[in-house]
Amino acid sequence: MATKATERTPSPTAESRHDGRLADADDRVVAGRAADGDPQAFEVLVRRYSTLMRVYARSILGTDDEADDVVQEAFVIAWQQLDSLEDPGVVKSWLMRIVSRRSIDRLRARHEHQDIADYDPPAEAAAAPAQAAQTRSLAAAVGTALASLPGEQRRCWLLKEVAEYSYREIAADLELPESTVRGLISRARVNMAREMQAWR
Amino acid sequence: MTEPRSPHDFAGFDIPDPVRLDGHTIEELSAYLDAERTPTNFSIESSPGCQIALTALTRLRELTAHTLEVQAAVEPAPPDSWVHSIMNRIALEARTGRDIPIAHSAPTAHLTMTEGAVRGMIRVAGDSISEVIVGRCRIDGDVTVPGALVTVAVDISVAWGESIPIAADRAREAIQRQLSKHTELNITAVDITVQDIRFAGTGTVAGTSRQ
Repeated sequence: MATKATERTPSPTAESRHDGRLADADDRVVAGRAADGDPQAFEVLVRRYSTLMRVYARSILGTDDEADDVVQEAFVIAWQQLDSLEDPGVVKSWLMRIVSRRSIDRLRARHEHQDIADYDPPAEAAAAPAQAAQTRSLAAAVGTALASLPGEQRRCWLLKEVAEYSYREIAADLELPESTVRGLISRARVNMAREMQAWR
Repeated sequence: MTEPRSPHDFAGFDIPDPVRLDGHTIEELSAYLDAERTPTNFSIESSPGCQIALTALTRLRELTAHTLEVQAAVEPAPPDSWVHSIMNRIALEARTGRDIPIAHSAPTAHLTMTEGAVRGMIRVAGDSISEVIVGRCRIDGDVTVPGALVTVAVDISVAWGESIPIAADRAREAIQRQLSKHTELNITAVDITVQDIRFAGTGTVAGTSRQ
């Protein structure tokens, strides 16, 4: 006879009571708890980062229609691998790397190596409070500059500067020579800077 | 990890006119940055115009991350149905960990409790203290051997304004009480680490919550 008491799902009343508090805790606590197998904590991470991940995936993919799927897949992988994350405090950049990888896999599946013309840049915030107005308009300028980059430049740029990939990692994942990646990122930087001059 | 900051942090994005770059070009400066400014180019390093441009180019990195945060902040939150579909996909995979034996009077019985179940118990016990939220917990020691010495290390978050030592003590007592009541683990210590002080509804000291 073998009896195993597996982790019971806590009764909704027992833990939903804490949902609000859990959402106030920092990444280290929430991701550490999710790594231990607590679905409520994982849900807090999903709500905390899915929008940022979607914005990022959309920018890498160049289109909106696959971004939600990519983010969902990224979270499923994150749940499976979260206990291997040594420092739960870095969960945000760790999630960004997973969503990068999933986005690149999508691109590869599409056999897509050219620029994407149908990218629709996100609209600027309609009414920004006065204090944030300058930040917002600068962010909008950067957003426009980013959206105007050719697809491969934008992808390399995001992988390098947001997901913090090395040149070598980008080259391996995008199946491009490292020298090409360096050139693309350098050109992306120049193009962004030119666009930003207009903002000033 | 760029958090939205004061507008003044970004006020100085400035690429000087080509004439002020002392004969260098933006392309050249960008390549120089990619080479991590080695070998040192004294002409670039001694040019004020080039220094301003290098600073601006370097800041494009944080501006990019910041821009994605701003774009995310104005997007609608994901619908509950979308969140639930993720939660449904992960629900099938429980994280059970090691098997912890439980003594039973019948010699043929083989009874175990999973490490995951014990962690769940620790979370419920710690969370029962109103100002405490349990984070990660680690069970150290060979729990698969009955009677082996075991220590438990628990990360917690404490609500802002509460006494941290009192909160930690209450959490430790609650966890110890639960574990001795429901398991046969030979617990020698429950070590509590306060990882986070949180403010209700306004993010945390560490500032990881989105606004």
